[in-house]
Amino acid sequence: MATFEWEDVKIEVDEDGFMEEPDQWNERVALALASTEGVDELTEEHWKLINYLRDYYQKYGIAPMIRKLCKETGFPLKKVYELFPSGPAKGACKVAGLAKPTGCV
Amino acid sequence: MSSHDLKPRDISKKTDQLVHIDPAELPKLPYPYDDWVDPVIEELSEAKKKKRDVSLDGVTNVDVPVPETDEEKEALVAKFLDGLRKLLSKENNWTFLQPLMLSLDNCVKCNTCSNACPIYNESGRIEAYRPLFRSDVLRRIVNKYLKPGGKLTAKFTGADIDLNWETVARLAQMSYRCTLCRRCAQTCPMGVDNGLLSREIRKLFSQELGIAPQELHADGTIKQLETGSSTGITPFALADLMEFMEEDITERTGLNIKMPFDKSDADILLIHNAGEFLSWPENIQAFAIIFEAAGLKWTMSSDLVGYDSVNYGLFYDDAQYVKVTLKHADIAKKLGVKKVVLGECGHASKSMMAIGDRTWLSESNIPRESAMVTLKDIVLNGKLKIDPERNNFPCTLHDPCNLTRAMGIIQPQREVLRKIAPQFREMTPHGVENYCCGGGSGFAIMQSHNFPQWRNMISGRRKFAQILNAFTREEIDPGVNKYVCAPCSNCKGQIRDMINYYDAWEKCHLQYGGLVEMVVNGMTDVPEGFIEWDDFH
Repeated sequence: MATFEWEDVKIEVDEDGFMEEPDQWNERVALALASTEGVDELTEEHWKLINYLRDYYQKYGIAPMIRKLCKETGFPLKKVYELFPSGPAKGACKVAGLAKPTGCV
Repeated sequence: MSSHDLKPRDISKKTDQLVHIDPAELPKLPYPYDDWVDPVIEELSEAKKKKRDVSLDGVTNVDVPVPETDEEKEALVAKFLDGLRKLLSKENNWTFLQPLMLSLDNCVKCNTCSNACPIYNESGRIEAYRPLFRSDVLRRIVNKYLKPGGKLTAKFTGADIDLNWETVARLAQMSYRCTLCRRCAQTCPMGVDNGLLSREIRKLFSQELGIAPQELHADGTIKQLETGSSTGITPFALADLMEFMEEDITERTGLNIKMPFDKSDADILLIHNAGEFLSWPENIQAFAIIFEAAGLKWTMSSDLVGYDSVNYGLFYDDAQYVKVTLKHADIAKKLGVKKVVLGECGHASKSMMAIGDRTWLSESNIPRESAMVTLKDIVLNGKLKIDPERNNFPCTLHDPCNLTRAMGIIQPQREVLRKIAPQFREMTPHGVENYCCGGGSGFAIMQSHNFPQWRNMISGRRKFAQILNAFTREEIDPGVNKYVCAPCSNCKGQIRDMINYYDAWEKCHLQYGGLVEMVVNGMTDVPEGFIEWDDFH
């Protein structure tokens, strides 16, 4: 575990930069985490994706299937990569405060 | 010291990093990668190095602790030696003692295994990755420290070794520089199984020292037993995933299929690797479309663990393996099915079928079958209407080690492909001679630190070259879509990662997927285009 600090944000993250305590997530935290992903600004489209991931995670305890994510946000996978260059799992899930995906995914 | 001059006794040297990988020494890849240069493997930060020992090669996929004091080091070495003693005793290791002893005793150092090992060869022949090297370190420890008079004879036989913490830590790391593909075991004229030795070393570290990769243990087996799946999918989440898949099938194909769960009158229990639910739902959907069209009476299970065929214990720990396999067996028994069909997952097939022969006993001994066989029966008996022209693109087949070399399931998947894919061609070599995808024994799910780079550029390199070589120069052109059929979740994950690492969609329009997707792609009851060719994986 390591402490990650950005402006006024101070959170515990694992070695891959994912939040240790997803309950501590808020919009400032998202901005802080986005800075580690080379995303300087969170646009409306970023937030649409983040909020979808967040809601799904809170309800089901996992990240959604990528196909479902694309379908329900209306973003093709290519667009997800444009928004978060390291992709849906390593990029978008991290900024949305989800735990790192596990298993054969 | 060069990584090529290393001797087994050097393993105890007190240096920060024993082996250095030089990308310039890796074998060249075929066209269009003639000029491909791999980057130097990223060095771990000092903060990361403080938390784990990386003294073998600077790479990490198993967190070996860094003891601070000499006392701690000695205590760990003593624990290791105790564990090794147990490994060599019938009471504590009835499962694998016989092949372990045969493999320790019978090596004649002919090095046939070295030529068979993709990791050793694709690393530019780094000594510490040689199958024989790792085994010889273990053998020398056993001979010197556990055999009567061993310390004396070690000096005379030239097989000396020092058992210090460095040796123990590096032995753990070396056991995770082998994918357990067992190509070496197949080729050994003496029947020595260096893959089994790697796995026994892993077992010792897990069962006796609590050292195992996080992805396999804490985030794998333990999570599976707690939540129902290594992916964290609970029965509640499963219901949502299935609902989505049903709607998606209708949208894509016009078919209305209700995913069957917990059916008491089913003949077949189909178990998937739950990774498919999240990353490759089209595989789950394709199975459902085929089984329904063929009129099978089948079901899946929504019981905890019953919807995830994963059993990572197979890779590192007998006790963890048994916990999971007994759950699988109980669920099959409870449902009263006539047989269990394993979806496209190699290690799960081995864990329930081959190793399951020793754990699914008496009333639990329900027949188990690989989906390759089920699919062959369906396709070759004409139960589906298939137009092979729909699969008229260059296509090759990857052989998952656990299905092919470990269990001899070679022909069914080929018979299916010959029937449905006019441009199917083999890789060289294939079948039991195949090369591992590079992600075997759980490597494909290890996504942290610098390990993904290591497996994409070294353990998977031979497979990537084999895939490229399966196509002609004209076909390799990005103007032609081509498909690697890999009927195993773990192999698919590794091939996906290599396609990304080598930018192989952009350069070659290389796509990958399972066997059932190709079957459905050919079915005339389904609109054309079930396989979606796109540029992200």
